[in-house]
Amino acid sequence: MANTTAMLEIAEAEILGDRKAASLRRRRRRRRSADRKGVVLRTIVAIVVAAIVVFPLYWMVVVAFSPRGEVFEPGLRLWPSTLTMENFEKVFDRVPVVAWFGNSVVIGLFVTALTVIVNLLAGYAFARLRFRGRNAVFLLVLSTMMIPVQAIMVAQFKLVTGLGVYGTYWGVILPASAAAFGIFLARQFFIGIPDEIVEAARIDGAGHLRIFLQVVLPLCKPLIAVLTLLTLMGSWNDFAWPLIALNDNELFTLPIGLLYLQNQTAPDYNAIMALALISVLPMVLLFLFFQRYFVQGFARSGIK
Amino acid sequence: MKLIKRTLGIVGVVTAGTLVLSGCAGFGGGGSEGDEQSLTFTTWGSEAEEVSFQELIDQFEAENEGAEIKLNVVPYDQMFSNIDAQLSSGNAPDLFRADYGNLGVYSSQGQLLDLSDAFSDDEASEFTPAMWEAVSYDGVPYGVPHQTDVSALLVNIPMLTEAGIDVASLPTSQDDAWTWEEFASVAGQLRAALPADEYPFVYNWQLNGAPRWLSWLFQADGTFLDGDTATIDSAEGARALDFTKSFFEKNWVPPTSSTKGTVYADALFTEGTAAMAFIGSFLVPDIDQLAGFEWTAIPMPKDERGATDLGGNALVATKDTKNPELAAEFLKFMVSADAMALFCGNTNELPTRIDLEGDAVEFKVRPDVMPVFVDQAATIEAEDVKQLTSPAMAAVNTALQDQLEAAFIGGQSTAETLENLSAAIEEAAN
Amino acid sequence: MTTTTARGRESAPAPTRPRAARRAARFKESLVGWGFTAPNLVLMTMFLFVPMVWALVLSFQDTQGFGDPEWVGAANYATLVSDPVFWRSLFNTLVFTAATVPIELAGGLGLAVLLNSVLPARGVFRTIIVLPMVISGVASGMIAVILFYESNGLINKVLVATGLDPVAWQSQGGPAMVSVVIAAIWLRIGFNMIIYLAGLQNISPEMYEAARIDGASRWQQFRSVTVPLVGPSTFFLLIMNVIASFQVFDLIFVMTGGGPGNATSVLGTYAYRNGFQIREQGYGAAIGIVILIITLIFTYIQWKTSRTRDLAE
Repeated sequence: MANTTAMLEIAEAEILGDRKAASLRRRRRRRRSADRKGVVLRTIVAIVVAAIVVFPLYWMVVVAFSPRGEVFEPGLRLWPSTLTMENFEKVFDRVPVVAWFGNSVVIGLFVTALTVIVNLLAGYAFARLRFRGRNAVFLLVLSTMMIPVQAIMVAQFKLVTGLGVYGTYWGVILPASAAAFGIFLARQFFIGIPDEIVEAARIDGAGHLRIFLQVVLPLCKPLIAVLTLLTLMGSWNDFAWPLIALNDNELFTLPIGLLYLQNQTAPDYNAIMALALISVLPMVLLFLFFQRYFVQGFARSGIK
Repeated sequence: MKLIKRTLGIVGVVTAGTLVLSGCAGFGGGGSEGDEQSLTFTTWGSEAEEVSFQELIDQFEAENEGAEIKLNVVPYDQMFSNIDAQLSSGNAPDLFRADYGNLGVYSSQGQLLDLSDAFSDDEASEFTPAMWEAVSYDGVPYGVPHQTDVSALLVNIPMLTEAGIDVASLPTSQDDAWTWEEFASVAGQLRAALPADEYPFVYNWQLNGAPRWLSWLFQADGTFLDGDTATIDSAEGARALDFTKSFFEKNWVPPTSSTKGTVYADALFTEGTAAMAFIGSFLVPDIDQLAGFEWTAIPMPKDERGATDLGGNALVATKDTKNPELAAEFLKFMVSADAMALFCGNTNELPTRIDLEGDAVEFKVRPDVMPVFVDQAATIEAEDVKQLTSPAMAAVNTALQDQLEAAFIGGQSTAETLENLSAAIEEAAN
Repeated sequence: MTTTTARGRESAPAPTRPRAARRAARFKESLVGWGFTAPNLVLMTMFLFVPMVWALVLSFQDTQGFGDPEWVGAANYATLVSDPVFWRSLFNTLVFTAATVPIELAGGLGLAVLLNSVLPARGVFRTIIVLPMVISGVASGMIAVILFYESNGLINKVLVATGLDPVAWQSQGGPAMVSVVIAAIWLRIGFNMIIYLAGLQNISPEMYEAARIDGASRWQQFRSVTVPLVGPSTFFLLIMNVIASFQVFDLIFVMTGGGPGNATSVLGTYAYRNGFQIREQGYGAAIGIVILIITLIFTYIQWKTSRTRDLAE
C-alpha cells in the first residue's frame, strides 16, 4: 500500500509538474488531520447505530429477568428492579422446554443435512456440468425462489396430509428442503473454482463424483459453512410452516412454543421473553463462532 | 477445521441423544395406533385448566384399569385448523374441546360421535336445558356441556373512588344492575376525571371475543338469526351498534381495544389503563394474581333485559374414535357432578349441571365475586343459546370481527355495518 | 454412480478424441448432470410444483378444510375481485415492500462502508449489527410487541419522558404499519450489510486512489466507484429483499395480526387467515394463485429489464 502510494506520488510529480504535486501533497496533509476527525465522527455514528440495533435484544434480556408485570407498570425503567429467575423457572415448570428445544434441534439438523447435500449436488451440476436443458432447468429452479410460501401453503398442507406425514417431523422437514437459494449460492461459488484444478483431476481419470467429493468440496469450506448456517437458522426460526404442520404439543418447535405462551389467557410476557432468550441463544452462539465464514463465503461466491 | 470437527461431534451426540429421548415419535413412529385403551384428548387451555384436566385424567385412569388418556394442549391459534386437518386426513384426536359455536360446525357436518346411547333422558335432564341444547344438533347430543363462562363488569375500586364514584352504591345483583343510561353516565364521569391515557372501561370483544358484542344486542332485546334468516338489521341492532360505537367516539375505551386489537381487555385492566373491564369469570385467577389494587365484580348493564355472553366449552368425541365406549365413558366422567365441581372450582368457570347451581361449587380464587357471575349467567335465555350455537356461528364470528372493527375505528356507518352483517349472516346460515 | 477407468496420460485432450468417444463422454456428463440435479428436482416437484397445480384446482372449489369440497367454478375469483380486504392487503404488501427495501439497501450499504473504514473495534460493531439476522421473526415480533405496546410500552414511555406525545402504534393504521416496517428493517439490515461488506472487499484500493488523484471528493468517490462496483450485490439484495418483504408473515402475525382494521393486513396474513383460520381454504388457494401470478409478472419484468440473465449464464 505505502509503496504504491509513494510511487504514485512520484508519478504524479512527473506528470503534473511540481506545483500541482505540492498542492496535492498539501491536500493530503489536510486530509490526514481530517481523517482523525473522521474516525471520531464515524466511531460515534457506529456506536449510536450499534446501540439502537442491540437495544431490543437488551430489552428482551431485561424483561426475561424482571419480576412479572414490572415492565408494563407506569413509569420509565430501563433495568429490572431485582434480577429474578422466576420467569425461567415458570417456563421450565409450565411447558416442555427441553422437548421443544430437542424438536428444533432434530428438525433443524435434518433439514440442514438434506438441503445442503441436495443443494451442493445441484449447484455443482448447474455450474460445471454440461447437459441438455441445463439452463432452462436452472432458471426454473431459480424462479421457485420467487414463489411466496403463502401462495401454495394450503395445497402443500393438503399434500403433506395426503402423504400421511402431517403432524410428524417429516411434514416439516421435507417441504423445507425444497429450497432454491442454496443452489444459487452454491452454483456461484463453484463457478469461481479454477478450471485447471478440475481439468487436472479429469486427466488423472477421476470421475465426476470423485472430482466433486475429493477435489471440489474440500475447497468449498466457506460455502458449506454459509449454507449450513443459513439453512439451520432458517429452519430454527421458521414459524408459518411448523404452525400449520405440527399438531402435537410434544413435537412443537420453539417458535410454536412462543406462540403457545402468547396464546395463554393473560399472556405472561416475562415468561415469553425468557423462552425467547432460550430460543435465540443457540443461534447467537453459533453465529459468533462461525461469523468469519459468512463474509468469506459470500465474498467468494461471486455475489459481490 | 478442528473447530468444525469438534462441533460436528457435539452435534452428533446431541442429535443421537434427542432421538433416543424422543423415541423417534416425531418421525411418525411410536404413535398410539392400535391401542384400544389409549385415547388422545386435544385442547387449549389456561394454566389452571391444564392442571385440572390432568388431575381429572389421572383420576379417570385410576378408576378405569388400563385406560390411558393422552392430554395434548396446543395454542388456541392453531386449535381448530389442526382439528379440521386431522378430521380430513382421518387421524383426528379421539376427544377434543370445542366452543359451542365450533361444535355446531362439526356436528352439522357429521364429524362427531353421537352420544344418545351414553346419556339416558334422566341423565340428560341433569343439565341446564339451554346447555344441553347447546351440544345438540337435530335433537341429538354430540358432546357434553363441560363448563360455561359469562362476563361481568370488573371495577378498579381506587380508580372509581378517586373519580368521585361511591363504590358503596355499586349494583350487586341483576335487580339493581345499571341501565345503559346509568352506565353511560358513570363512564362520562370517569372520562372527565381520568387523565388522557387512562380510560373508563374496556370491553372484551378482541380477537375471538367478537360474539361478545351480541350481549348488547340481546340487552336491547334484538336477535341476529331466526332459523336461516338474518334478523340483525333492525331497530334493536342499530341501537346496540350506535351505543357500542359511542364507546370509541367518546373515548370511553382504549383505542387499541377494538375487535381486532391484539391487546386483551384483562391486560388493560390489570395494568390500570382501564378503570372497569368486562371480563369472563375464567380470568379471575389471572387478574387476582396480576392486579395490584382492590377490585370487585358487578353485573353487566341492562337495557330492555339483562344479557351476557355464552362462553365456555363442550367436550366432544370424534365419530371415528377407536374406542367409542371408552370415549363416551370419559366424557361422562368429565361432566359428573364431582369432576365438574372440581374443574369449575379450580378455574373459576361456571357449571352446567342443575345440581351445581347456586353456591354448590367452591371457587378457589375470589369466591366473593363469583356470585355475581353465577347471577349473571341466569340472564342467558334459551333463544340466545339457540342462535349462539348454530352451525353458522363460526362464520358469524368472522363477520363480526371484520364489520365491528370497521364500524368502531374505520368510520363505517351503522346502516352499512348492519347491512354487511346481515348479508354475511345470511350467507353463513344457508 | 459413475465408474471410471484410470486412463493414462496418453489420453489426449478432447479435440483429438474420436467423435464416438466424445459423444459417449458427453452423454455420460449429461447423465451425471441429471443425476446430480435429480434429488433437488424430485423434492421441488413434490413440494412446490405439485402443490402449485393443486392450489389451482383448490381455487375452483369451496372447501371447508374437512368434509367434501364443492366445485364452484370461478366464484372464488369473482369474490376476490370485489373483496376490499384483498385489495387492501395487496396495497399494504406493496407499501411494506416499498418502505423496507430501499431503506434496507441504502442502510446496508452505508453501514458496510462505515464498517469497512478505519475504525476502532470494527469487528465488534459488525457483529452487533448483524446479530438481529439470527433472531427468529416470532421472537422479534414479540420483543416489538412489548416495545411498541401503546398504553405502557417502552417507546411511548420514552417519548412521553422527552416531552413528546405517545404514538398510537396499535390503534392507528399508519403508526402500526411504521412499527412493522421498523421491526422488519431491524431484522434484515444486518444481512444487507454483510453482503455489501463482501462486495466492498472485492474492490481494489487502487480504484479509490485513482479517483482521488482525479480530485474526487469522498462523496464523488462513493458515487462513482463504490456504488457501481457493488452493483451485483445490490441486484442480488434487491431480489432477496423483495422476496422477503413480499412474503412477510410471522412479524405481522405476531405484532398486529393484520390490524388495526386491515391496516397491516398483507397477502401472507390474509391468505393464512382464509386458509387456516376461518375455513375458507378454496378462497385462500385463490388468493395464493393471484399472489403467484403477480410474482410471475414481477419476475418476468425483472427478467426483461435487468441482469437476471447474468445469473443464468
